Amino acid sequence: MLEIKDLSKSYGDVLALDRFSLDLKKGEVLGLLGPNGAGKTTLISILAGTLGDFTGSVTFLGRNLFADRELKSRLGIVPQDMAFYEELSAMDNMLFWGGLYETSRAGLKRRAAELLDLVGLGARAREPVKAYSGGMKRRLNTAIGLLHKPDLLLLDEPTVGIDVQAKVSILDLIRDVGAAGTAVIFTTHQLAEVETTCSRIAIMDHGRILAQGSLDQLVRIVGERDIVEIMGEFAAAAFSEAVQDLTGERVELLSAGDGLASLAVRDTAEIPKIMDRLFRRRLAVTDMKIKSPSLETVFLKLTGRTLRD
Amino acid sequence: MKKLRRILHVAVNDLRIMVGDKAFFFWSLVFPMMFIILFGLLFKASDSAPAVAELTVVNLDEGRWGAYFLDKIKTPTIELKIVRSEPAEYSRLIVLPPDFSAGIEARRAQKLAFKKRRDASTKAAARVETRLYQAVARMLSELVLYGDGDLAKFLDGHAEFRDIVQVKTRFPEKTVTVVPSGFDHSIPGTTVQFIMMMVIIYGGITVLEDRKNGVLARMLFSPLSKAEVFQAKLLGRWLMGMVQALILIVVGKIFFKLNLGDFGLSLLVLGAFALAMAALSIFIGSLCTKEDMIIGLAVLLANLFAGLGGCWWPNEIVPLGVRRAAMISPAYWAMDALHKLRFFQGGFGDILPHLGILLALAAILGAVAARAFRVRE
Ligand SMILES: Nc1ncnc2c1ncn2[C@@H]1O[C@H](COP(=O)(O)OP(=O)(O)O)[C@@H](O)[C@H]1O
Ligand SMILES: [Mg+2]
Repeated sequence: MLEIKDLSKSYGDVLALDRFSLDLKKGEVLGLLGPNGAGKTTLISILAGTLGDFTGSVTFLGRNLFADRELKSRLGIVPQDMAFYEELSAMDNMLFWGGLYETSRAGLKRRAAELLDLVGLGARAREPVKAYSGGMKRRLNTAIGLLHKPDLLLLDEPTVGIDVQAKVSILDLIRDVGAAGTAVIFTTHQLAEVETTCSRIAIMDHGRILAQGSLDQLVRIVGERDIVEIMGEFAAAAFSEAVQDLTGERVELLSAGDGLASLAVRDTAEIPKIMDRLFRRRLAVTDMKIKSPSLETVFLKLTGRTLRD
Repeated sequence: MKKLRRILHVAVNDLRIMVGDKAFFFWSLVFPMMFIILFGLLFKASDSAPAVAELTVVNLDEGRWGAYFLDKIKTPTIELKIVRSEPAEYSRLIVLPPDFSAGIEARRAQKLAFKKRRDASTKAAARVETRLYQAVARMLSELVLYGDGDLAKFLDGHAEFRDIVQVKTRFPEKTVTVVPSGFDHSIPGTTVQFIMMMVIIYGGITVLEDRKNGVLARMLFSPLSKAEVFQAKLLGRWLMGMVQALILIVVGKIFFKLNLGDFGLSLLVLGAFALAMAALSIFIGSLCTKEDMIIGLAVLLANLFAGLGGCWWPNEIVPLGVRRAAMISPAYWAMDALHKLRFFQGGFGDILPHLGILLALAAILGAVAARAFRVRE
C-alpha cells in the first residue's frame, strides 16, 4: 500500500535522507529504529506533506501521494512535537481536528469518545488540555492522529519523555490499530518498544535503512556470537591498537570509544586473551559485561553506536 | 464546498477560542467602554434645545418701528429680554440702533448686529435666527403694502395679510442637520480603534502561537492546503473584528441611543476595515517571533492610527494639514466614511471612495501577509 523509492533530502550540506526506500503492506506495523539525527523526522515530515524540496517518489494506495491532496485524508500523522490547542478540552480538540476531515458530527463525537476512553483520557475529556500531564498530552496527541480512521498511521517518536503507564497505553494502541488492518510506521530510538510492538523492524542511520526484517532475522545478522562490553580508563585509539592482533574471524571490534568498547566473540575463551592484551598495555579495566545477541547488539554492529541517550 | 466548510471550521474555532478566553470580556467590552464614555462626554454637544429660547434685545431705538419689529418677533417659544445697554451675560443678542425708526422712515438700509455665545445651544440659535428673518420679512412686506400709515388698523380690516409671510426652514442637502451626540462619534471611533487593537494584538499573537505550537503545520496533515489555512486565518481574524464591532454597536444602541446613519452601509465600512486589519494581523504575526514584539507594534500602530485617523476627536475639527496627514491611517478612511453616513446624510456613492481605498488596502496587505505566512518556525 506504500512504496517509498529513492527518497533523498538534504539541508544544505547535511544529507538527511539518502535514497531511502521502503515497502509497506496493509496491517504491517513497522518500527523504524534509529539514533538521533538518523533522518526519521525528515522522512515522516515528507510523507506528511509538510516538507518539500526532496527527490524520489512515494506511491500510496496506488497513487502518487504528493499529487493528490485528498489522499491526505487516508493518512494519519502523529507529530514528534505535540500539536493541539492547549486552551481547549481534549474532546473539543478531537472535534476540531476530526472536523477537518469528511466525517459526520455525530459519528465524529462517538469516535472521539471511544478513542479518548481507549487512551485512558475519557474521565478528563472535558478539562482544558493545559492542565494535563506530559503523558496525558502525548496520549491525546496520538489519539488525534487516529480520529479519521486512516489506512496508514505515521507516528514520530510517540513515546518520548513520558511515564511507563502512558507508554504502555500508546504501544497497546499501536498494536490494536495494526491488528485492525491499518498499516503503521512508528519511529523510535527505544529498542524495547520495537521488540514488543512491531511485526517488522527497520534500522536506519544517516538517512538510509541498514537492515530490516523480523526480530529473529535481525538478530541472525550478528550471528551466534556473544557481545563483550568493556569499561575502563582507556582512549579509543589505545584500545583498538591493543586488541588489533586478536581481531579477525573469531573476534570483531564493534565499537571503540574512550572508556567504553564492544566486541563480538565466537567463544568466551577469547575473553582472557583480550584482557591479557589490555593488561600488557596497562589499560585499566573497571567493568566488563557479556551479553547474548539481541536487537541492541545488532544495532551496535550496524551503526557503531549504542542507543543510549 | 468541502473546501469552504473546512475553512469555516478553522475560522470559527479561532473565534470560539477568543470568546472563551477569560480576559475577552474585559478587553472587548469593559476597556473600550471607558474610551466611549470618556470621549463621548468630552465631545458631548449637550444640545437638547431649551423649550424657550432666549433673545436679549438692546433696544436703543427712539421711534415706533423698534417696538413694531419686536412685536413681529414675539412667539411663545422665544423669550425676549429687552434691555437698554449690552449686558455681560447673554446667549443671543440683537441690537436695534437709536436711528432704527428714523432709518426706516427715510428708506435707508438697516444693519442689525446679531451675536451668539459660542457654546450656547445651536438648535435654539437656529430657532431665533429663523424667527428674526421671519420678522424682518413680515415687517418689510407690511411696509410695502401699507406705507407708513396706521398698520394696526389696516391689518384689522385685512386679516388675510396677517400671516402674509411665513418662513419655513429647510436645510440644503448634506449639511449637518442633527447635532452630533458625543456618543455618535465616540462609539464608532472606539469601535474602529478596538477592531485594530483586538485583531492586531489577539489575531497576531494567535498566528504566532499556532505556528510555534505546531498547530498550523498539523493542519496541513489534513486535506487543507497552506493557502486554505491562510484563508481560514484571515476569515477568523475578520470575524474577531466584526464580533468586537457588534458588541460595541449593540451596547451603544441599548445604552447610548447610538445612531450610525445608514446601518447596513456602516457595517460595510467596518467590514472592509476589519478585513484590512485581519490581513495586517497575519502579516505581523508571521513576521514577529515574540509576543512582546507584536504587542509593542500593535499598541503603537493602533494608537497612532486611532489618534491620527479621528477615532478620538472628530477629524472635522483638526487643521487641514493634519487632516491630510491623517489619510495615511486606515482608520481615517473608516471614520470619515462613518461620519459621512451619520452626520452628512451620506449614501453609498459618498463612501464608495472610502470602501475602494479600504478594500485596496486589504488586498495589498493580504498579498503581503500571504507571502509572509509560515506554518512553522
Ligand atoms: N531544519 C533543519 N535544518 C537543517 N538541518 C536539519 C533540519 N532538520 C533536520 N536536520 C538535520 O537532518 C538530519 C536528520 O534529522 P531528523 O530527521 O530530525 O532526525 P531524527 O528525527 O531521526 O532524529 C540531522 O542531521 C539533523 O541535524
Ligand atoms: Mg526526530
